[in-house]
Amino acid sequence: MFLRMIIKTLVRQKSKMLMIAFTVILGVSLSTAMMNVMLGVGDKVNRELKVYGANITVRHKDAALMSDLYGLTEGLGVNDKFLHEEDVLKLKSIFWGFNIIDFAPVLEGHAVFKNSNVDLIGTWPEKNAILATGEELHTGLKSLRTWWDIQGEWLNDSDSDKDSVMIGSALASQNNIHVGDSITLTNNGLTKTFRVKAVFNDGGNYDEKILMHLSDVQELMHLPGKVSHIEVSALTTPDNDLARKAAQDPRSLSPEEYETWYCTAYVSAICHQIQEVIRDGVAKPVRQVAESEGTILNKTTLLMILITILSSIGSALAISNLITASVIERSQELGLLKALGAYNWQIALLVLSEVMLTGLAGGVIGYFVGIGFAQIIGQTVFGSYIEIARMVILIVAVILFLVTLAGSIPAIRYLMALKPTEVLHGK
Amino acid sequence: MANNRLRMYMRMVSGSLIRRASRLVIAVLAIAIGATILSGLVTIYYDIPEQLGREFRSYGANLIILPRGDSKITRETLSRLENLIGKNKLVGMAPYRYQTVKINEQPYIIAGTDLAQAEKNSPFWYIEGSWGNSSEPEKVMTGHEIAQTLNLKLDDTFTIQGVKYGERAEASRQDLSAQENQKRDSARQNFHKKLTVKGIVSTGGAEEGFIFCDIDMLDELIGDSFRADVIECSVIADAAELETLSSRIEKEIPELQPRAVRRLTQSQDIVLSKLQALVLLVTVVVLIITMISVYTTMTAMIAERRREIALKKALGAENKLVMSELLGEGVLLGIIGGALGVFLGFEFALQVSLNVFGRAINFQIALIPITIAVFIIITVAASIIPVRKVMDIHPAIVLKGE
Amino acid sequence: MSNKILELNNVSKIYGELKALADINLSVNAGDWLSIMGPSGSGKTTMINIIGCMDTPSTGSVILDGVDISKEDSSSLTRIRRDKIGLIFQQFHLISYLTAVENVMVAQYYHSMPDESEAMEALEKVGLKDRARHLPAQLSGGEQQRVCIARALINSPKILLGDEPTGNLDEENEGIVVDLFRRLHSEGVTIIIVTHDPEVGDVAQRKIILEHGKIIDDIDQSATFGEALKLRSK
Repeated sequence: MFLRMIIKTLVRQKSKMLMIAFTVILGVSLSTAMMNVMLGVGDKVNRELKVYGANITVRHKDAALMSDLYGLTEGLGVNDKFLHEEDVLKLKSIFWGFNIIDFAPVLEGHAVFKNSNVDLIGTWPEKNAILATGEELHTGLKSLRTWWDIQGEWLNDSDSDKDSVMIGSALASQNNIHVGDSITLTNNGLTKTFRVKAVFNDGGNYDEKILMHLSDVQELMHLPGKVSHIEVSALTTPDNDLARKAAQDPRSLSPEEYETWYCTAYVSAICHQIQEVIRDGVAKPVRQVAESEGTILNKTTLLMILITILSSIGSALAISNLITASVIERSQELGLLKALGAYNWQIALLVLSEVMLTGLAGGVIGYFVGIGFAQIIGQTVFGSYIEIARMVILIVAVILFLVTLAGSIPAIRYLMALKPTEVLHGK
Repeated sequence: MANNRLRMYMRMVSGSLIRRASRLVIAVLAIAIGATILSGLVTIYYDIPEQLGREFRSYGANLIILPRGDSKITRETLSRLENLIGKNKLVGMAPYRYQTVKINEQPYIIAGTDLAQAEKNSPFWYIEGSWGNSSEPEKVMTGHEIAQTLNLKLDDTFTIQGVKYGERAEASRQDLSAQENQKRDSARQNFHKKLTVKGIVSTGGAEEGFIFCDIDMLDELIGDSFRADVIECSVIADAAELETLSSRIEKEIPELQPRAVRRLTQSQDIVLSKLQALVLLVTVVVLIITMISVYTTMTAMIAERRREIALKKALGAENKLVMSELLGEGVLLGIIGGALGVFLGFEFALQVSLNVFGRAINFQIALIPITIAVFIIITVAASIIPVRKVMDIHPAIVLKGE
Repeated sequence: MSNKILELNNVSKIYGELKALADINLSVNAGDWLSIMGPSGSGKTTMINIIGCMDTPSTGSVILDGVDISKEDSSSLTRIRRDKIGLIFQQFHLISYLTAVENVMVAQYYHSMPDESEAMEALEKVGLKDRARHLPAQLSGGEQQRVCIARALINSPKILLGDEPTGNLDEENEGIVVDLFRRLHSEGVTIIIVTHDPEVGDVAQRKIILEHGKIIDDIDQSATFGEALKLRSK
């Protein structure tokens, strides 16, 4: 009989039960969407932050940064040490290779142009390759200089693009060079003519340099197969104490700590692994990018967590509120049961079972609607899918159960206090 | 006369709200929850560029100011610049003076700066030891590269030598003895000073090749008044604002040449707009859900009162009058719930801001009337459909139960 | 004929297959006290719906105070009901969140203009002046019904229409309410009461009995009018 009554209520009281189910759907979908977005936001924002460019640079262990500062590029022996171009693709083979989003080798050079010295930057503007693992690779400096303002077109990977160059905006305006012009560069008795494919504005010191294909600079500088450094952009986990300790000296870690550290995408762990594959290379985090990334990521994640928690509390209150409202609305009919001799606990059980069953149905639908919401947010904001976290199901289910219970309590208490006559005589 | 009717109307509406307190609580709660989340999220949405913009300043200076031509930047120009940008927009503003000095007869560059400002500008620097300060100017910071090359550790000392401002270095002459050479070095036109390593700077960038010291000490050492080669500013602004700021600086202080650091400004715009879009979408989703939740609450509230409505109709009330009463209640609920929600919402946003950014949030005064108005509209709109449905109730149902 | 306040001519009401009222003819003079009796399903409620301007007959005409209401739409019915009918219900139907005097004023409000002193006078008439500021929940059943009567009378209706007005009252309160009807009747108010309580039915001037939608008996009780009540009062 009990079952029959529940079924009848669910079927006959369709509109009222639909309302509860509807509210549950809304609340659950909001929580599901927010939790999935929250769990995915770190990864998404991390990728967005890649627009700041490389967060790791790899140099020869004996090369010193100081050469940059003095402009004493040659002859002091500091810059005679080079990395090997053939090692560059090995970056993708490290443990955290999947986290390496973009990278590009750079060979710094110089040449005489119109009787004065200009700096040359040789690089992979764009690189398409198929790795030994069969993975396709698309990378290059283009992805690491998203902030550049380009007149003309980026250099590309094709053979027909050889002998094209891009010129920094400052250099171009000093020498009145435009897209489509030809320029002649001379170094060590070698003279080559290049076509200007684009003028770029970096807003930094690249504006006075010429960007070329790596092979062209290698040829002009007589340095075949050599690169001076590699810029790497990797997804990293913000540093914690363990990462800081490891950054000082990985050997100071206990074996367990080492394991944890090595298998977490800390910037120091990735640097360590890069050094294992690049001959004579020293990988260093670019703190300006790496450190700030951590700050922004932590703040964003915290922001989303708080918004999620508060929105979930909000929707929990709303659901419980509505359950109360709609159970009270049915007091008439439940009062009748009381008049017919039902015990309080029987009525309470009836109400709870009905609400729980409705809540369950609403919850299942709400979960899928919520996943839809999360994907809409992911597509609109980040242009990519948000990964569905399974643990959300559990969290939402527990919250929903408690919320439904909490929402039914005031209603049930109200019913207990109700005198059947009052109900039937239409107070 | 009409006054009497209005008074009775108010009496009925307020009586309904006050004496049906338990139902009122449910409805106000629903509206207040919605208003809280909405006004909280909107406050956060508007504050994100400001708050997160400050966080993005951890990427360092986004506006570099160079002197035009050969002129140098004086202290007076610096303070004019500071006033122009405005203190509240400025996270840090550090002037730099670069000077070549010799250590062990090898050339190095020492950068004099306002160390406190430089620290604000560059939170990403990793300092082994600690930041220098102007009260102990002889304790300086060296770049990691220099420390390695010179084999310096914390608290080690080293001596810098150089030529005073406006003087020429005399080349070492073959015909002088070493003693005479040394004497020449300590002559009037030269300076030398013993410095202590207080911190070692690691950044993964060019900074590792500098020595950083207090700019006043450097000025005194080289016997010159304050002159900066470059000013690094960290300004809370997006790309467009920086553009405007740059042109204002160029116009009002023509001896300066501002350059926005494209890499930071462009990237910040991209990331911030994404995050703002994220919060906006979340706000919209929450708003929709709030509206529906208020709608269902109002439906439940009104459905509950079918009998009372039928009675009023049996007493001769026209549909219009009954509707106006129910909608009047909706307006009052909207005002109460909305007002409650605005303040709770601000508290919500404040807590989020304090926890995430460690800063208070700006209260948008305009949000008070807007939120209240929005929730009056939502409540009334949510009432209209159930109220209209209720209008079909036949007055005869009051006669004998249901 | 001018003192005929209500006339039902060949009134029928048909719900699908069911003939709730079949060809009823009835006329009521102003100042009459009529009770309508009959078992459940006899058509009492349908009749009161039609007289109370809450429903219209399928065929036939209803002349209320000289106006044919059988063809009016629902909004003019509302207006007529407001002006000419005072309703009393079995379940009182007071608005729970308004005080006694406010409940009376509601009727004024919908009719014309709320006037608190007039409403107080009406309450005084039913002996509830000192209870005017109480909420319905604080009043006894009899008191609630008296508030309803005050409310029904406040706009000076042509007919006081009661639907089982004593159905939810104990004997003592029933006596008070019937007493009140008697006083109103002596003041010239037309009263029509639907009831299945014979004691309440018997105190009227005239009693009609319905069965299967037809008037099967129409009894003039003028002779014994008031006697039953007096007997009960003892």
